Amino acid sequence: MGRYVIRRLLWTVLVVLVVTLLTFVVFYVMPPGNPSVRFAGKQPTPELIAQVEKQLGLDRSLPEQYAHFLRRLFLGDGTECPLVYRPLCSIESVENFVVLDTGGCATGVSGCGWPGLGMSFDSRTAVRQELIERTPRTLSLIFGAAVIWLVVGVSIGVISALKRRTIWDRLAMGFALFGISAPVFWLGLVALWIFTVKLPFSDSLGTGYVEFGNDPVGWFTHLILPWTVLALLYAAFYARMTRGNLIDTMGEDYIRTARAKGLPERRVIFKHGLRASLTPIVTMFGLDVALLVGGAVITETVFNIQGLGNYAVQSAVSADLPAMTGVVVIVAFAVAFMNLVVDIVYAYLDPRVRYS
Amino acid sequence: MATVAPEIHEAGPPAEPETDVVGLSPRQLFWARFKQDKAAVAGLVIIIVLIVLALAAPLIAKLVGHGPNDLFQREMTDSFGVPKGPNADFWFGADQAGRDVFVRAIYGARTSLIVGLVATGIAVFFGTIVGILAGYFGGKIDTAISRTIDVVLSMPILLFAIGIVAACGTTGCLNGLIEPGLTLVIFVIALFSWPYIARIVRGNTLSIREKEFIEASRSLGAGNTRIMFREVLPNLVAPIVVYSTLLIPTNILFEAALSFLGLGVPQRTPSWGGMLSDATQYFRFAWWLMFFPGIFLILTTLSFNLLGDGLRDALDPRSNR
Amino acid sequence: MLALSLLLALGAAGCGGDDGGDEAGTEASEGVDEGAEPGGTFRTQTDAFEWTGNFDPTGEYLATFLGLYQNLLGRTLMGYNHVPDAEGNELIPDLAEAEPEISEDGLTYTFTLREGVMWGPPLDRAVTAQDVEYAFRRIATPALVAQYGFYYLGVIKGLQEYSDAGGLTEDPEGETPIEGITVQDERTIQFDLEAPTGDFLYRIAMPAAGPIPEEVAKCFLTAGEYGRFVISSGPYMIEGSDQLDITSCDTMQAISGFNPNQRLILERNPNYDPETDTPEARENFFDRFEMTLNTNAQDIFDRVRQGQLELAYASEPSEVVREYSTNADLEDRYQINSGDRTWYITMNLTQPPFDDIHVRKAANWIMDKEGLRRAWGGEPKGLIANHIVPDTMFNNNLEDYAPYATEGDAGNLEEAQNEMRQSKYDTDQDGMCDAPQCKGVLHVTRTTDVWANMAPIIEESFAKIGIELNTRQFEDSYTIIQTVKRQVPVSSTPGWGKDYADASTFMVLFDSRSILPEGNVNYSLVGLTPETAQELGATGTVEGITSVDDAIDSCNELMDEERLDCWQELDQQLMEEIVPWVPYLQGNADFVISDAVSKYVFDQASGDPAWAHLAIDQDLQQ
Repeated sequence: MGRYVIRRLLWTVLVVLVVTLLTFVVFYVMPPGNPSVRFAGKQPTPELIAQVEKQLGLDRSLPEQYAHFLRRLFLGDGTECPLVYRPLCSIESVENFVVLDTGGCATGVSGCGWPGLGMSFDSRTAVRQELIERTPRTLSLIFGAAVIWLVVGVSIGVISALKRRTIWDRLAMGFALFGISAPVFWLGLVALWIFTVKLPFSDSLGTGYVEFGNDPVGWFTHLILPWTVLALLYAAFYARMTRGNLIDTMGEDYIRTARAKGLPERRVIFKHGLRASLTPIVTMFGLDVALLVGGAVITETVFNIQGLGNYAVQSAVSADLPAMTGVVVIVAFAVAFMNLVVDIVYAYLDPRVRYS
Repeated sequence: MATVAPEIHEAGPPAEPETDVVGLSPRQLFWARFKQDKAAVAGLVIIIVLIVLALAAPLIAKLVGHGPNDLFQREMTDSFGVPKGPNADFWFGADQAGRDVFVRAIYGARTSLIVGLVATGIAVFFGTIVGILAGYFGGKIDTAISRTIDVVLSMPILLFAIGIVAACGTTGCLNGLIEPGLTLVIFVIALFSWPYIARIVRGNTLSIREKEFIEASRSLGAGNTRIMFREVLPNLVAPIVVYSTLLIPTNILFEAALSFLGLGVPQRTPSWGGMLSDATQYFRFAWWLMFFPGIFLILTTLSFNLLGDGLRDALDPRSNR
Repeated sequence: MLALSLLLALGAAGCGGDDGGDEAGTEASEGVDEGAEPGGTFRTQTDAFEWTGNFDPTGEYLATFLGLYQNLLGRTLMGYNHVPDAEGNELIPDLAEAEPEISEDGLTYTFTLREGVMWGPPLDRAVTAQDVEYAFRRIATPALVAQYGFYYLGVIKGLQEYSDAGGLTEDPEGETPIEGITVQDERTIQFDLEAPTGDFLYRIAMPAAGPIPEEVAKCFLTAGEYGRFVISSGPYMIEGSDQLDITSCDTMQAISGFNPNQRLILERNPNYDPETDTPEARENFFDRFEMTLNTNAQDIFDRVRQGQLELAYASEPSEVVREYSTNADLEDRYQINSGDRTWYITMNLTQPPFDDIHVRKAANWIMDKEGLRRAWGGEPKGLIANHIVPDTMFNNNLEDYAPYATEGDAGNLEEAQNEMRQSKYDTDQDGMCDAPQCKGVLHVTRTTDVWANMAPIIEESFAKIGIELNTRQFEDSYTIIQTVKRQVPVSSTPGWGKDYADASTFMVLFDSRSILPEGNVNYSLVGLTPETAQELGATGTVEGITSVDDAIDSCNELMDEERLDCWQELDQQLMEEIVPWVPYLQGNADFVISDAVSKYVFDQASGDPAWAHLAIDQDLQQ
C-alpha cells in the first residue's frame, strides 16, 4: 500500500510538471504579444519596456523562467518575499463581498511560503495569497453543487431505471436531456433574471459571495442559484449515466444469481446493482469536481463569485501569466488528488476491484 | 462548466457479434431494433432536416431576400441600437446590427453542425487510433498513452482554450495548419475531446483482445496491424458510434461556451453559440434573439442525444432498454 | 459581454486649460442635487479592474485612478474643482496655497504649500515641499516605471540626468540634488524648466507630481508596489491605513482595504482638515467608499436599479441606455457628459489600399457614422465626430467643422466614389476599389459587444466602395495594433482620451518621434521615414509620408488663444491633407446612478463622476 501511495504521489508530481510545462508553452512561448507593454505607459520606450520585463522576470530566457518557476513551486518563495506580499489582516465586511477570515492579524495570509507561485503581473500581489483568498469561494460553489447533482442525478437515474418506460422515466429523461442540451450561461442568466428581476423573492438570492463565517444564511442564499445552475447540467449527466449503468448492471449474471437466491428485490437493487453501477460514476465525479476547481468559469462569471475560475480567465485574458499558471497548478493538483481518492472509493464500492 | 462534461464513462462490456438470430443480418437486426425507438427516429429525422436546411441556407436566404450579413440597421433597430422583433419580413426578428435572425439561424446550423461534426470526427479519428494502440499493445505504450490522457484531462480546458486562441488567433500557428477562426475553434475542441473517445476505445480493446477470435486470427499468422484494424476495430464500431453521437452535442455546446467567453468563431460567421452569447446582452427585451437560436441549439443537441441513445440500444443487443 | 474585455487604459485625466467654452455639445446634465447630507457608504461596482501600475501614483495611468486619486486620496500642487464642462478643466491651487509665481521667461515656477495639510495615518505629519520633491525623484526612477514620465523628464532641468544615473535605486536616500527642483523651505518648492512649457501646470496636477512620503515609499522601489501602501493626503484614505506599522520596512504589510483585482475601500482620513480645502473642490459627503468587482455587468445595472448600489462603473448596454433615456422616471438617474474623448477608425498610411489618400478620404465619406453610434447605444453615447480633437477641448470652435459631413451621418456614396475614382486602386474609374489590394483587407477590432456590433457596419460601409474587409476580433487587439511590425491596415479598436484639456495630448498620436516598435499609438504611422521604417521592420509604402512634427513643436511653444488656434489648424490639416483616421464618435462619459444619490456632479477633468461631490440619501439605500 505504501509503495502504491508513493507511486501515486510521484505520478501526481509528474502530471503537475507536465501540465505546468504545457502551460508554459501555451502561455509564455506561443503568444506573439509582450505582456510588459501594458505596464509601460502610453509611450513605452524600449527602455521602459525592458525595465518592466526585468521586474516581471520576463527578461530571462524561457528555460530559466521555467526553472525559476519550478524552484519556487517546490521550494517555496523563500527569501523572495516582497513587502507587498504581506497584507494587513482583518478587514470589515464589504457588501456582497468575501472577506477571508485570516485568523487574526498576527498571522494574516502571507503571499510567501510554499508553494511559491510568484507575483501577479496585474496586481503585483502574490498569486498564492490571491488563491488562498479565493479557494473557499470556489470550493463552496463546487461542493454545494456536487451534493445537489449527485443526490438529484443519481436518484433520478435510479427511479428512471427502475420505472423504465413509464411516464416518470420519460419525464426524468426529458429533464436530463434538457439539462444536457442547454448552455450553462443561458441557464445562469435566465435564472438570475427570473429570480432577481422578474420575481425578486429575496435580495439575498442574487450574485456575489458572502463569507460563511460572516453570515451563514447569506452564504447559503447567495449560493442557491449558482449551485442549482451548475448542478443542473451535471445532474442531467449523472441521471443518464446512472440509469444506463443500472440497467446494464441489472442484466448481469450475478444479479440474476442474487435474485435466484431469493434476495428481496430492494436488496438486490441497492446492495448489488446500485453499488456496481455507481463505480464509473465515482470516477467521473472525482474528475468533474477536480476540474471544476478552475473550470466553473461561466458560473463564477455570471454569478460574480470571485473564485479561481473567474480569476484564471481574467488573468488569461490579460496575459497575467503567473496568476493563470497558479490556477492551472492548483487544478492539476486537485485532479491528481481526486484521482487518488477515487481509486480508494472505487475499491470500496466495487467488489470486483476489491477481490482482485 | 459546460465545456466537455461528457456523458462518457467507461463503456460496459462491448457488443459481441450477434450470431444467435437466424435469418437477420446484424444490420437488419440493428435497423429493426432502431426503428422501434420512436424518439431516436425522431432525432434522426430532425438531424436530417437540419442538415438539409444547412445545405439549403443560401437558397433560403435568396427566398427570404436577406443574406446572413445583410444589414437592416435603420429598419430593424431603434435609435438606441435596440433590435426589433419578428414581423412579416423578418420572421425571427433582427439582431442588434439589424441582421435577419431567421437567416442567421439557418446559416448557424452550418457552423454548429460543422463544428460539431468535424471536431468530433477529428477527435474520434485520433481517439480511436490512440485507444486501440493503447488497449491492444498494453504495457509501456498503454502507460504512456493513458498518462497522456490523464494529463489532457487534468488541464483546465477553458483556460487552455483561451491561451491557444490568444497564441494562434492572430496569424495562425503550426505552419498555417491552424487558421484563426472556424479552424482554430474546431482544433481547440478536438484537442480536448479526443481523450474521451480514446479512453472508451482503450477499455473496449482491452477486453476484445482477450477474445478467442483474436487469438484465432493471431494463430493464423495475422499481423498486429491487421488484427487491430480488421478484427478489433469492427467490434468497436458500436461504442464509437454511440459515443461520438453523444460527443457531437457536447462539442456544439463547447463552441457556445467559447463564444460566450469571446473565443468562438468570428461574428461574421453566424453560429448558434455566437448568437446566443450575443443575445445575453439583449434577451430581457429581445426574447427572439435568445429563443430562436436557443431552440435550434437545444433541438440539435437533443436530437443527437436521442439518436445516440437509440444507437446504443440498437447496437448493444444485451441491453434491452 | 461578461467582463472579459481587456481595455487598455484609455488615457486619462487631465487638467484643464480651456478658459471658457460653453456647454459641452451634449445634453450636459446639471447633475442631481436634492439637499445633500453627509454620511453613508457610497457603493459602486466595476466589471473589470485594469490598473496599469497597480495604484502607485508614480506609475498608474488608468483614468479611473486619476479620478479617484484627485478627488479623494491625494492633493496635488494644482488641482481641479471637479465640476463638469469647461470650468471643470480649469486649474485651481490645491496643495499650493495660491497660483505659483512664474518667472518672466516662463522657466521658473515657485509654489508655496498650504499650511495644515496633513498626511493621513499612520504618518500624521504635515505635507512638505520635500514630499513633492520626493515624488519627482520617484518619477525619475526607471525601476518605478513612471508611465507618463515623459511629461517631466527632459522638461524639468536635471531630471533626465537623475534618471539616467539610475534614480532612487542608485541614490537610496534621495540626496543627490536635482538641478531644476529646489526646496526653499518646508513649504516652498521651485521648478526650473529646460524650455517654456505652456501646459506645465496641467502636468503638475497629475497624481505622479503630487507629494509622496519618503518614510513609506522608500521601501518600494519596484513599479507598482507602493500602490498597496498609498498614504493619503486627501479627505479619504484606504481602509486599514491606520493599522500600517511603519516602524521599519519589514513591519509594513499591505493595507487591507485595497486588493488590486477585487476591491477598493476608502474611509475618512481623520487628519484631513476641510479648512485647507474648499467646498467648491471637495465636499466629501459620504463616510465610506466601496468599489468592488462584479464580473456580470448586467447585474451591476440591476443592482443600481434596485438601490443596492449607488453607481454603475461599467459601460451601459443599449437596453439600459434606452430604458433610462425613454423612461421619464429614470431620466435623471442617467447622467451624461462629454467625456473629452474621440473614438475612431485608424488607417495605416503604409498599407494598401490605405497608402492612397483618396482611399482614406473615400473611407471618411462612406462611413455610416450614425450606424456606428447606434452600435454604441445611440445618441446618449456621444456626438458624431468629424475631426480629431473633441469639440469641448476647442471651446466648440470647430463644432461646425465637418469636412466629410454626410446627410444623417449615414455616409455619401457619390462623394466617396468621386474620391475613389482618383485613386490608383480604382483601375476602371467606376468609383469602386477594384485592385487586388482591395480584397481581404485585415481589419482588427475588439471582441467586446460594441466592437462586435460595429464590425458588420464598418464592413458594409467599406464594401460600398469595393473594399472587402477581413475582420478579426481580438481580446488583445490593442497589443496587436500597437506593434508596428504587424502592419495592421485598418482598425476600429482605438479611442483616445485627454490626459488634460490641452490638445497636445491628442497630437502626440501623430508625432513621428513617438513611433515605437511596441506600444505604438501613432497607429497610422504619420511622419514615418524610410529609415525609421527599416529600423522597426515596417514595410509597405514608407516613402513620402508627410510629417507634422514641426507643426506640433511650433504649437507647443505657444500659449493661450494662439495655442488653441494652432492646434485647431493642425487638426484641420490632419483631416484634409493627411487623413489618418475616420473619427466617428466624441464619446460621452455616461453613468447610471440610483435613487439614493442625492447629489451627482461630473468631473470634467477626469471624465468620471466627481467623487468628492457625490452624496447619498441613506434612507433610500437598500
